[in-house]
Amino acid sequence: MGLPFLIHLEGKIYSCKHCQTHLGISDDIMSRSFHCRHGKAYLFSKIVNVTVGLKEERMMMTGLHTVSDIFCVGCGSIVGWKYEAAHEKSQKYKEGKFILERFKVSGPDGSHYWVSHDPHVGGSDADDA
Amino acid sequence: MGGVDDNEPPLKRVRVPTVESGRLLKNSSFSEPVTSLVGLMARPLASEGKEDIIGSKGVIKKVEFVRIITKALYSLGYERSGAALEDESGIYLHSSAVNLFRKQVLDGYWDESLVTLRKIDHLDENILKSASFLILEQKFFELLGKNRIIDAVKMLRSEITPLGIKRKRVHELSGCIVSSSKLALLGSANMSTESANSRMKLLEELQKLFPPTVMIPERRLEHLVEQALNVQRDACYFHNSLDSTLSLYTDHQCGTGQIPSQTTQVLHGHHDEIWFLQFSNNGKYLASSSSDRSVIIWEVHEDGRVSLKHTLTGHEKPVIMVAWSPDDCQLLSCGMEEVVRRWDAISGECLHVYEKSGLGLISCAWFPDGKQLLCGVTDQNISLWDLDGKELESWKGLRATRTSDIAVTKDGKWIISLCRETAISLLDREAKREKLIEEEQTITTFSLSKHDKFLLVNLINQEIHLWSIVDEPMLITKYKGHKRSRLVIRSCFGGFEQAFVASGSEDSQVYIWHRDGGDLVRALPGHAGAVNCVSWNPTNHHMLASASDDHTIRVWGLNRVNLKRKDSGYYCNGVVHQCNGNSK
Repeated sequence: MGLPFLIHLEGKIYSCKHCQTHLGISDDIMSRSFHCRHGKAYLFSKIVNVTVGLKEERMMMTGLHTVSDIFCVGCGSIVGWKYEAAHEKSQKYKEGKFILERFKVSGPDGSHYWVSHDPHVGGSDADDA
Repeated sequence: MGGVDDNEPPLKRVRVPTVESGRLLKNSSFSEPVTSLVGLMARPLASEGKEDIIGSKGVIKKVEFVRIITKALYSLGYERSGAALEDESGIYLHSSAVNLFRKQVLDGYWDESLVTLRKIDHLDENILKSASFLILEQKFFELLGKNRIIDAVKMLRSEITPLGIKRKRVHELSGCIVSSSKLALLGSANMSTESANSRMKLLEELQKLFPPTVMIPERRLEHLVEQALNVQRDACYFHNSLDSTLSLYTDHQCGTGQIPSQTTQVLHGHHDEIWFLQFSNNGKYLASSSSDRSVIIWEVHEDGRVSLKHTLTGHEKPVIMVAWSPDDCQLLSCGMEEVVRRWDAISGECLHVYEKSGLGLISCAWFPDGKQLLCGVTDQNISLWDLDGKELESWKGLRATRTSDIAVTKDGKWIISLCRETAISLLDREAKREKLIEEEQTITTFSLSKHDKFLLVNLINQEIHLWSIVDEPMLITKYKGHKRSRLVIRSCFGGFEQAFVASGSEDSQVYIWHRDGGDLVRALPGHAGAVNCVSWNPTNHHMLASASDDHTIRVWGLNRVNLKRKDSGYYCNGVVHQCNGNSK
């Protein structure tokens, strides 16, 4: 596993639920209207302390995207994904940005998010201009 | 660099054409004017023309070559060989006038030597005056030594002063007559009981005054050979060997064979990942720290073998860093967000535990006087302690809270720390000055070079940057090739004059680059897990150690097969240029 290199954030911090590794700050959230299998997800412009997995094509609610899963550097658990490329012009704004699944992180106040079984369970993605 | 013409100019250069003083025939009286010599040289006799120049490049004059060899023979004490060479070649080391002059000086015939001095060619008025002054000065001191004070005074007035030079020295000399302590101070060398010795010294001083063609400078041949060796060594791109390996028989070229490339030993002792290791300053010990919460001190034996000496236990968290005291007698170890322990490196005993209640320590470094230490703290402060554990000072300086390197330069002046995610601060606390190294990417770790001239900065984007920190920090080179995406991976300097940079890597290899050129020289496989840290032995340029997640340390040395091949000898007399060209 090695000794992970961890960046320290300041502000309203979202951190990994399992190991409390800092992942992102509230100021970098671009949208709270995303969804994933486990419920809510946030779009961040900047994320730290994650490693990026292999690129793959995924059909999302808003179309086909090239994404890579992202993993917490501290414990290795999957915390969301990164948009590498969007195939539709209207979705290009997501390129290079990150999704953190709300279920996987502790909020700035330390709060956790419990999975709710609601109609959106079936799909990932969303937001839309 | 120079060929044979690159002599240091004598004090007063004589304006004659820089041609050798020609064949110095044994029996000729040396009263020919210089111009006739020039006439001779302008039209060399057809049969002699070719023989005057030797060597394939056509730049070595035979007369000069033979004369410096003759001089070298005499310097080595081979009187008969020197004389034989002069005889056989017909080329004389010194003109007869110079020979006579030398003899007269050594025998103390001062007045006669002054006469002969005027008969020597190529000496202008200034040289004559300076030389006369030196000779008369020696005569003066010897007179004083024999207590012939009246004669000395007379001489000072009538012979030395009229020369009209070195007035200050003349005053000092007259002071010697009156004050015996001053005499002792100034003239002891000249009056020493071994008068032969002081006269030899006088001759050497005179030699320095004369143009080199008149009296060949001492050790001229040795100087030329050393120059050539320096050129070869400087041109050796991968130079990493001792001076003792320089030979006159072949042009020197290390090639990459002098860089550690082969695992010579695998050290087992830790039970878990090894995150840090460092050789002691004297290269005789190696300290490693592990997530198994222990520190191990290994001993490096004369033959290069490494064996376990002490296992230091006591930390309750993984140990992330160790630091050798400047005298190598003590070791600091830092537990992860825990405490710093100070150990006696010889006995293995724990001498002190440094802690801050409610907080954890994240790095440690010694002050060069060995009496104070610096620690990074989880609250982003830097703390200064004395050995007994008294906290002397504390100031906010760190960005990170989990790991953050700290270093102090050997003059105790600059404290180096990671003050922002992308910046390193070099702080002069006394002068309240701060220099900054600013990067565009996040900095993970850094490493200070042996003489505090460079800082090696590891970045999050898999680049290592070399910064010069002597004056204003300046980025010099970048090194790429290794892998880093999650872990704290460290790099270091090493090799002859720190000419190389080595780093660990997440792909389990050890990477080595040429420091100045930036080119990757080695990627060494062997470990079965990420290589977290590397350390190059400061006193053995052929030994490198690496620490890995595979619970082992590997000691790397020279490739034995290559070594054998080099010994079987291939000849190079400089006709073919052997050294690797510098591709930069």
